[in-house]
Amino acid sequence: MQRIAITERADWRAQAAAYGFGFHTIDAAPYWDEAAYYAFTLREIERAIEAPTQTLHQMALDLVDRIVGDERRLRQLAIPEAYWDWIAHSWKTRTPHLYGRMDLAYDGIGAAKLYELNYDTPTSLYEAAFFQWQWLEDRIADGTLPRDADQFNAIQERLVERFAALAPRITQPFHFSAVRDSIEDQGTIAYLRDCALQAGIRCGTLAIEDIGISVDGRFTDLDDRAIGCLFKLYPLEDLFAEAFGRYLPRSGLQLIEPPWKAILSNKGILPLLWEAHPGHPNLLPARLDDGSPLPPGWVRKPLHSREGANVTLRLADGHEVATPGPYAGPCIIQACHPLTAFAGQYPLVGSWVVGDAACGMGLREDRTLVTQDSARFVPHAIIA
Amino acid sequence: MKRSRTASLILMGSAPLLLTACSHEPDAVRSGLYTSVDACVAAGNDATACSDAYVKAAQEAKTDAPAFSTARECEARYGELACVERTVGGHGYFMPMMAGFMLAQAMRGNTATGAFRSAAAFRDNANGWHQAPWQNQGPPNQNPPAGGGYGSGGGYAGGFRSGSGRALETVTSAPDRAVTTVGRGGFGSGGAARGMGFHGFGG
Repeated sequence: MQRIAITERADWRAQAAAYGFGFHTIDAAPYWDEAAYYAFTLREIERAIEAPTQTLHQMALDLVDRIVGDERRLRQLAIPEAYWDWIAHSWKTRTPHLYGRMDLAYDGIGAAKLYELNYDTPTSLYEAAFFQWQWLEDRIADGTLPRDADQFNAIQERLVERFAALAPRITQPFHFSAVRDSIEDQGTIAYLRDCALQAGIRCGTLAIEDIGISVDGRFTDLDDRAIGCLFKLYPLEDLFAEAFGRYLPRSGLQLIEPPWKAILSNKGILPLLWEAHPGHPNLLPARLDDGSPLPPGWVRKPLHSREGANVTLRLADGHEVATPGPYAGPCIIQACHPLTAFAGQYPLVGSWVVGDAACGMGLREDRTLVTQDSARFVPHAIIA
Repeated sequence: MKRSRTASLILMGSAPLLLTACSHEPDAVRSGLYTSVDACVAAGNDATACSDAYVKAAQEAKTDAPAFSTARECEARYGELACVERTVGGHGYFMPMMAGFMLAQAMRGNTATGAFRSAAAFRDNANGWHQAPWQNQGPPNQNPPAGGGYGSGGGYAGGFRSGSGRALETVTSAPDRAVTTVGRGGFGSGGAARGMGFHGFGG
């Protein structure tokens, strides 16, 4: 694994505009950053990223089975009791899921370590699956990268296949939904909708704020049709807590990601994974936070924080890094395994699972040890 | 090769492709779940077909509804007010009342061509819909092809037996539009509460 500085493609901004990549620059700061790329060997990808991702995914699914009927565990995960039966039913009937991303600390030397599972509302999808792919094709075509260069990125192909497989189980009308004013989330659902259309599925988009409730407790779109299936790029735990949440279990609404993802998209799963597989080479020791002072060499994370918010990291030497954010509530602590710096940047691997297949990755690097929403997306290539 | 063989966009790109070639939507069959004859007609179906389908489904519901030996079992699945006692083949059963009906018709443009099929539909207490077996209408062997409006089994359906011993199918099409929205804006407040910025809720 190497970080290699290169010149940018001269026309990448024009390409971004042509391909609907509206969030490559955020508040005047670059988000898509192709002034460098990470080079991996095929062996690193297959042995250190792909195979562990597949294993960790299976370990996580196995845990769901043990947690759905366990009141104590559900309480530990801070899942409201009103939703337990609904979640259990969605698991028992294997309500289909689409995708997830796990964040891995990897430096090309040691084993990849799981930081967390983003199994409910993962983003950085379009840039990983599509724009990064286009970058590689261009760089091979212009001779910057060798003809046999490759990329761990079959994400889009798997997404279209997955939608095609889900098609007979998707109830119409089917909408992709995200908060109205987030350019990034709107871009992500536009991309997912594009993939669904490529799989031949009829679908629309709907702002989360526009969802209605009918007199008989069904969710409606702006045409007053009862929504059949809703892809929501919006946290399950927020849906649970908000005004319409109480209608969910009896509404008949099919959700993607499904209710059972509430168990995996929760950092409380990390101590349970460690408890089930102590010493696993791709896991970090983790336990529920009991509120005592954070010992050196540990990190504290809220069960539901996103984008690295509200994380406190205490290095072995006692030095502390804390990120701001709006998340409160119960926390876990996890053994501190700091990212390795490459040219002063700290890359974090986002390893994608579509359906149940590990199928690609995207790297985001930040200037700090905790990867936050300031992180930039940097492409990668597999160089033989 | 570890990457997608191709990756194209059909809507996000500046030169979107036409969608017609991509749609697997079976446009030869119109199939829907309706909660009333009026809703069926409002959806553009022929009024006679709607009322015939309704009558046929209601007859079918008397024998092919899910059958339970106790009222309690029926109510646990379909809700307290939904169950009635009926005699089928000399035995007393508790069955949910029909809550809607299915109508499937082969279409050419906006015109129905020939026969239709109908089925009684039941709504369980989690708002899931299940249909009794399809009933053919019209001369034999002129049934509209299946597809589009309903899926095969799975989900709840496995546990059910209809009075005639045939399993119900889970209905995957949403019911008709006869819906009255009584509120909006019950989701999405997390954004304001957290001062959500550009990045939204993805992580």
